[in-house]
Amino acid sequence: MATTTTGVAAGEALLRVEALALHYRTRQGAVRAVDGLTFDVKRGEALVVLGESGCGKSSLARALMRLHPRNLAHHGGRVWLGETLISELSDERFRREVQWSRLALVMQASMNALNPVVKVGEQVAEPLRELKRWPRRRALERAAEVFQRVGLPLDFMARYPFELSGGMRQRAVLAMALVAEPELVILDEPTSALDVLTQAAIMNVLKEIKRDQGTSFILITHDVATSSELADRVALMYAGELVETCSAERFFTAPAHPYSRMLMESVPRLHERRRPRAIAGQPPSLLDPPGGCRFAARCPARFARCAESPPAFVPETADGAGAGVEPGGEPGVGGEVSSEVRESRHRVRCWLHATGREETP
Amino acid sequence: MKPASAGRPVRPDLRRSRLRDLRHLLLYAAARLLALLATVVVGVYLTILVANMGGQVDELRLVQIRSEAVEAVRADPAFFDMPGEERSALVERQVALEVERLRLDQPFIVRSLDYLRRALSLDLGRAEQMHSDRGSREVRDIIVERLPATLLLFGSANLLVFFTAVFAALHLSRRYGSALDRTVIALAPSSAAPGWFYGIFLILFFAFLFPLLPAGGMVTAPPPESRLEYAASLARHMLLPVAAMFLSSIFVSIYSWRTFFLIHSSEDHVEMARAKGLSARRIERRYILRPTLAPIITSFLLMLIGLWSGAIILEQVFNWPGLGSLLFQAIGHRDTPVIIGGVVIFAYLLAATVFLLDFLYALLDPRVRVRGGRS
Repeated sequence: MATTTTGVAAGEALLRVEALALHYRTRQGAVRAVDGLTFDVKRGEALVVLGESGCGKSSLARALMRLHPRNLAHHGGRVWLGETLISELSDERFRREVQWSRLALVMQASMNALNPVVKVGEQVAEPLRELKRWPRRRALERAAEVFQRVGLPLDFMARYPFELSGGMRQRAVLAMALVAEPELVILDEPTSALDVLTQAAIMNVLKEIKRDQGTSFILITHDVATSSELADRVALMYAGELVETCSAERFFTAPAHPYSRMLMESVPRLHERRRPRAIAGQPPSLLDPPGGCRFAARCPARFARCAESPPAFVPETADGAGAGVEPGGEPGVGGEVSSEVRESRHRVRCWLHATGREETP
Repeated sequence: MKPASAGRPVRPDLRRSRLRDLRHLLLYAAARLLALLATVVVGVYLTILVANMGGQVDELRLVQIRSEAVEAVRADPAFFDMPGEERSALVERQVALEVERLRLDQPFIVRSLDYLRRALSLDLGRAEQMHSDRGSREVRDIIVERLPATLLLFGSANLLVFFTAVFAALHLSRRYGSALDRTVIALAPSSAAPGWFYGIFLILFFAFLFPLLPAGGMVTAPPPESRLEYAASLARHMLLPVAAMFLSSIFVSIYSWRTFFLIHSSEDHVEMARAKGLSARRIERRYILRPTLAPIITSFLLMLIGLWSGAIILEQVFNWPGLGSLLFQAIGHRDTPVIIGGVVIFAYLLAATVFLLDFLYALLDPRVRVRGGRS
């Protein structure tokens, strides 16, 4: 596998991921849940990983955290965190040096992610005591700080998880992720089970933390509207692959990949008469994904070449017109966007953009 | 702000809430005790009904008393020259005496309630036919004599199986799908055969084909004088029955505990603990064993009191003088006081264990403890 061509960005990139793969073993064969992902996250940046359910978003989080299920078939690719090539570390070194102290996770089912028989404060302080060998008192003081940081009353520290509401539990899990001051926090659907008000409150907490502490985030979600609150950049996944990676502004206004466009058209917006449109069809099975472009079967713009697997391209122009696609018809494709787009971090995995610079994966 | 200040605003209420908790606790305990007592009463009374076949045993007994009296009068040389009418009058008098002694003249329902009262007050009474090896007819003596043998044999076998199974299962649940794991699962159906079945083969191999160990009994006869030799002989006699019980239940126990731990180790909080980078040991102790301690302790305590009943066939096969064979003999002799005595003690043990478990649960699991307490 070739290295990324993003030489400039690599200097400040906090996380660089190359050809990350995670396959599961099933009775019918290997499920290629994460199939060759390449992306990076800068320091202080929030990358939103979007995708419909079953496209491998959560598996991406698991692959990064090395939370392998029992039926793991294959785990590959290279991951750098800062200067460390963390994918080459032994499990024990990864656990001691990277897990939680540098890379933390807020799990999808974080409502149940707390041990039911241990007090919340103890659980939040636990990584410090276990990984950093801090004395109990100091760890609890630090836990109290993050409790305040995420807006939890301090007397909740002495409570058990079942005595907290769903939103409070979510905050406690967030506090747990932040307690060791990690450089990067992966949030896997952190607000999906919550009501909109609590969602907004938690997104605000995340924004504050990002602003004040420069923590990087990978926010994994299917919820386009909520994700736009935090996103600096967006990576869109489809059937185990990344189909488009670009700045949030570009993605939410004028995405390049046909799937991205259709996805954005399916999101209802305020002050707009146009009805949201659904994407017809089903994503392909990851058991035996089709050769060629995986979106081809649902794509209105497919042509002969889509039977071959497209590499990732760096599109040349802002609206993608130069690449032979009709403009997305979205307002707000301004001049400032085009300068952003020329930056080499916009990648589209689609033959429609084949006139652009090719990134050989 | 320090976390210590967190508890301060709650302090003033603390005393009152403690008192309220205590009242809740006492009310709860009283309710549980009443329910358990009712269970014991019903269980023991049903046993009395069954052991007496709903009063049918009385008629058998009457027939037996009459024939014994006739036999006694006929065999006694003092009554040889007595006229027939007088003799039958004598028999009638003796039968009436015996009926009065056993109070068979009262309706069964009245006596059954009397049995119940005495059973519940642990006044186990005297056996009708059986006696202990020392010659006592007290049911208490008969049971107490057999108890150590059963506790020793079944206690050591079951404790061995329990702890081996739990720790092996923890180990296997971490190596799900490994060759060892699949072997244990494949062997689990071996537990379909009971302990005595393996016992027969063990006796065949190790006592007859290769006479290494004794075929049955508890110690050599006559019993060795020195304490050390006695223990050694006891251990040699225990080896085969313990092995038989171990073989017959170990694989299915490991299998079921392994499944139990597998289910609980895929809980979200265990996953989270793994993500947190906690050590495997800590995850096992704090995230798998600690939340599942309640069911583990339940099954441990139920196993312990299950020792009380022994095992009828296994004790027969190994000629072990335990409670199982005692119960078997008592049923054979229709010796109801012994049967009822055994059941009453078991019922009390069970009730006490369940009561204890209620409180252990509250200690182990905060979700049980706080329910209804503070709001």
